[in-house]
Amino acid sequence: MIGDLIDGPLWYFSAAVFLLGVLWRVFEILRAGVARDLAPPRAGGSAGAVRALFSRFLPRRSLVKTGKLQLIAGYMFHLGLFALLFFAAPHVDFLEERVTGFGWTPLPHWAFIVASEVAFAGLLLLLLYRLMHPVTRLLSSADEYIGSVLVFVVMLTGCLALARSFEVLRLVHLFSAELLLVYFPFSNLMHAFTFVISRSYTGANMARKGVNA
Amino acid sequence: MRSMEETRWSPAATNCFHLFWILLLAASTFLVIPGGLARAEGVEIPNPGADLWREVRQRDATPVPVPAPTTGIDLWREVRQRNAAAIPAGTTQVSGTDSAELINALGDQWRRFRMEQLVPYGGYVLGGMVLFVALFYFIRGRVPIHAGVSNKVLFRYSVYERMIHWFIASIFLFQAITGIFLLFGRDFLIPVIGHGAFSLLASASKEGHNLFGPLFLLALALIFVRFVRRNIYEKGDLTWLLRGGGVIGKKHVPSNFFNMGEKSMFWLLVFAGGTLVVSGLILIFPNFGQGRALMGLSHAAHGITAIVMTAVIIGHIYIGSIGMEGALEGMKTGYCDLNWAREHHDWWAQRCENEDKILSRDQVGRAGVHSPEPAAGQVVEESGK
Repeated sequence: MIGDLIDGPLWYFSAAVFLLGVLWRVFEILRAGVARDLAPPRAGGSAGAVRALFSRFLPRRSLVKTGKLQLIAGYMFHLGLFALLFFAAPHVDFLEERVTGFGWTPLPHWAFIVASEVAFAGLLLLLLYRLMHPVTRLLSSADEYIGSVLVFVVMLTGCLALARSFEVLRLVHLFSAELLLVYFPFSNLMHAFTFVISRSYTGANMARKGVNA
Repeated sequence: MRSMEETRWSPAATNCFHLFWILLLAASTFLVIPGGLARAEGVEIPNPGADLWREVRQRDATPVPVPAPTTGIDLWREVRQRNAAAIPAGTTQVSGTDSAELINALGDQWRRFRMEQLVPYGGYVLGGMVLFVALFYFIRGRVPIHAGVSNKVLFRYSVYERMIHWFIASIFLFQAITGIFLLFGRDFLIPVIGHGAFSLLASASKEGHNLFGPLFLLALALIFVRFVRRNIYEKGDLTWLLRGGGVIGKKHVPSNFFNMGEKSMFWLLVFAGGTLVVSGLILIFPNFGQGRALMGLSHAAHGITAIVMTAVIIGHIYIGSIGMEGALEGMKTGYCDLNWAREHHDWWAQRCENEDKILSRDQVGRAGVHSPEPAAGQVVEESGK
């Protein structure tokens, strides 16, 4: 009964909330617009937008010097999670069946496990950094902690269900993922989408002013 | 149809029938008694099952003077003896570790060790440790800061050091809990939650335990590199040990940044943790050609070491939390109370005082955000490098 609910209506509900919520948030940002720049542009903004969007995947030199740990842990978590989310065999099957209608080559099992280890290590270290460092602790609100804990719980329940022997474990994992989907659009986790807008805007704005940002 | 009366035998026929049975019984007695005599003299009696096993055992092997098995126990004893060094293993076309062994007697030894020794004695050790800590707390009570909490603090652990401490702590706790479920769950959880729920819990625990195991290796490496220099034994450590860290006698026992107990805890973590990691990797990667003998040995080493380590960590958690006033502060905020440092790490506290590294709590701020006049080198430490 509960299993049917999690596997059916709750999944569609959470997916709908996620999709509509993300679209609404992005639409709101775009609708807000930007202040008109009256100064004549020194260059076009498109190249700057693209440059900032991709170049900022690489760390700045000053950041490498002062925050090695956050940097490494950040890459570990985000790359590991990306690999897990889109290239773990069970997820590829799930996405093919429920979302896309087509599949793609998943990671081999060993790579899937390595990606999990890397993502877990990164997330734990980042969460501990948030808790331990006085500045990040002051800057962090409940939203950051709820988001981090939800992501951790989703990853943990997925890891516990790795044997794929118990339906209950799969449902617990799916249920936690559904909670995350519902929470996602209303939280700072939206940075997974909004980073494109913010980087592009900054890059384009600076390029028009003749600054290589 | 013939009636029952018609089928009744005549007295003569009945007598003949009785005579036939007497003769048959006598004949069988003659057959059985020589058979028994023949067995006593070593003459083999045809036994297809035993012959088959004998063939299986002796194929491609040098003849071994094995007495003919007469019972099931003997048969199994003989089959198990193939593991003995005197008897060569069999041959097989199946390429795999231990494939040529018909029965691996070590498997049974491992099972018996686990069920009859590791589980009960491991339970006594862990339960005993919890009991000991509880008794110690009720008898000795919380160790206070005798001079009281001061308004001065010393910088003790950087953000990075606290991070990696809690990193290894969280992984160890997860591993310990899932490991306890796996080792003791059959005895303690099945009666409470039933077989179905336990099988689910055991499966989840096993997957989680295996996945987080390699992370413990990473955490252990980070801890080792960061703390090894401060944990090398030095003069005075033995005195600390002989006086039980101040528990024995009333005299103050001096120590440096880490005392003898903390240093021993570090080295236990390194060596026992190393054993846990190596044995754990052998167990979760059976595809590197290790045989079941090595796997069994690894499991025994893993289980014993984990129980010892967990017992020690129970003591560590106790003394670092409710057992001693001010002990947790350093690992929580990075700063420790000056009086606490003077009472437990006085050589280090004295050195900090000489180097003018004492800070007021106001300087540290309500959340340890900043220190307006940090001591030399402190900014570098706090940056997390």
